[in-house]
Amino acid sequence: MQPALSVDNIIKYFHDPETIQVLKGISFDVQPGEFLALIGKSGSGKSTLLYLLSTMDTNYEGTIQINGTRLTGLKQNELARFRNEHIGFVFQFHYLLPEFSVLDNVMLPALKLGKQPPEQIRAKALELLYLLDIKGHEDKKASRISGGQQQRVAIARALINDPAIIMGDEPTGNLDSKNTKVVFDIFRELARERGQTIIAVTHDDEFAANCDRVIEMVDGKIVGE
Amino acid sequence: MNKAMGVNNKIAWVHLTSKIRQLIVAVLSVTFGISMYIFMNSFTSGVNDAQAELVFNTMAHIRVYNDLPKEARQLLPVPTGSDTVQFISNPKRIQYTEGIKNAEPIRELLESSPDVVAVTEQLNENVFFHNGVSKVSGSLSGVDIDNENQLFHTAQYMTEGDWYELQRRSDGVILGTGLADKISAQMGDIISLSTSDGILKTYKVVGLIETGSASVDKSRAIISIQAARQLLSKNQSYATDVLANVRHYNDARTTAQRIGASVAYKTEAWQEGNSQLESANVLRDILAITVSLTILIVAGFGIYNIMNMTVNEKMREIAILKAMGFDGKDIVQIFLIQSIAIGFMGGLVGLLLGFIISAGVDRIPFKIASLTTLPIAYIPTDYVMALVFGLLTTFVAGYLPARKASKIDPVEILRG
Repeated sequence: MQPALSVDNIIKYFHDPETIQVLKGISFDVQPGEFLALIGKSGSGKSTLLYLLSTMDTNYEGTIQINGTRLTGLKQNELARFRNEHIGFVFQFHYLLPEFSVLDNVMLPALKLGKQPPEQIRAKALELLYLLDIKGHEDKKASRISGGQQQRVAIARALINDPAIIMGDEPTGNLDSKNTKVVFDIFRELARERGQTIIAVTHDDEFAANCDRVIEMVDGKIVGE
Repeated sequence: MNKAMGVNNKIAWVHLTSKIRQLIVAVLSVTFGISMYIFMNSFTSGVNDAQAELVFNTMAHIRVYNDLPKEARQLLPVPTGSDTVQFISNPKRIQYTEGIKNAEPIRELLESSPDVVAVTEQLNENVFFHNGVSKVSGSLSGVDIDNENQLFHTAQYMTEGDWYELQRRSDGVILGTGLADKISAQMGDIISLSTSDGILKTYKVVGLIETGSASVDKSRAIISIQAARQLLSKNQSYATDVLANVRHYNDARTTAQRIGASVAYKTEAWQEGNSQLESANVLRDILAITVSLTILIVAGFGIYNIMNMTVNEKMREIAILKAMGFDGKDIVQIFLIQSIAIGFMGGLVGLLLGFIISAGVDRIPFKIASLTTLPIAYIPTDYVMALVFGLLTTFVAGYLPARKASKIDPVEILRG
């Protein structure tokens, strides 16, 4: 089977304030439906790696493929289109657009993609919101709901275009234990029941322990799985 | 593309409407700039037109007359060989003919020119006015009653009497108010004129006229051109001046040049003798455009400032949009749409406000010379230009922050 994500010999330097090598030849594959946790101490390079995988940072050596598409070397606009269609993000902070309604926030990536008529997108967004148990808040401003709800809305937004991969940067890092469990269970369920590929950077050992696979990084290298 | 445009519009709209107060300030700054642009230009054009009206009630746009020759006539052939030196001491320029003997063809030529709107003939002569013991020198204009009125709207400057009375009686004379004062003549008085040839003739004062130009009013009397020809014993189509007005006074020079080529007499556009008027008009226009463009640019800085603030406030949102797959072009579009919307709203309100201010100023009493209110000209081009300049300013002012927004690196912002 074709891997959902394929990383080959990634090397990255930071040049500011002085040149240091943050990633020292990272290679791994992720299979479709895998729920993967990237762990490591701060400074280990795990977040840097995630942002390379996200295609937003293009300054690296090596190659990255998602679903068989080679992303290394593509232009910014092509990458933006690819991100829109194939990658969903969940950040440590919800990063919703505060002036938009909850429903609009979920719909925006699909409206941008423009592959479905708005009514259909709306129906799908509502379905996702119900699935994530956010009913009755659709028309509220995104800034007017609780933190746990916001993170679930962010997950709905990440799912709207049926992405190949969901990437999470400490997706539960800013939540209390109850909400952490809720969000983790959602991820768990998405991976198991929908075959959703998920890669999450996390500090949370308990979170990592329940994933399908854990990659641990130390000083820019993978030290264990 | 179309759908993407829709999403960008939607985002731009939410950004615009989420801060109503800021939106109103931005729109007002454009409104103010554009309405001032319109007012300044309408007022300047109004002043120029009023000035022109004052000047052109005694002066025509184009004047054809018999001028002194430019050089003295060559009496001897110029010697060809280099061994001959020719001396003519004290050569004089002599006017061999006086006035225009046959003004008819010149009048017809002017009338046939497409941009000439009115033509008249005049016979001007310096005379003495006598009334009792007072004797004053002045100028006598023999005029074509109908055409004169068409050119100079003379009838509307009559303070007493009827302009057309001149047509009815050949011994009627209309005096400038200042002149009438000087010889203490009143309506109905009989005064006499004496020409340089010593001919004396009596006339009845049938009207008084005040053109607003004091020097003219103090020295000029008007009779019909037939009466003037008679007085000076001239032939039927004799005139000293043939005068014409063109459609717009600024075009007088080109028309005069064209007609002058086929006329044996001097053809002069008004600008030649009145460069001070022309320069005043041009300077006023420059001043108006400078001031109004400055105001628009200041409004542009206002928009730039507001859009820049908006971009700075929305750094994180821009980063998220980019993470979701909006590219640089989308981001530019989102912010440019906002500033253009501001420019358009401000522009339309500004057009209306500019018109209202102009109309208001147009009603402010200003009773000097022939003016009754402050002069305003309503010129559609001013309104079009105001909108064009306004949109241009907002476009530039909006583009710079929009481009800055599009260059934001999402990684830097999302990683914190």
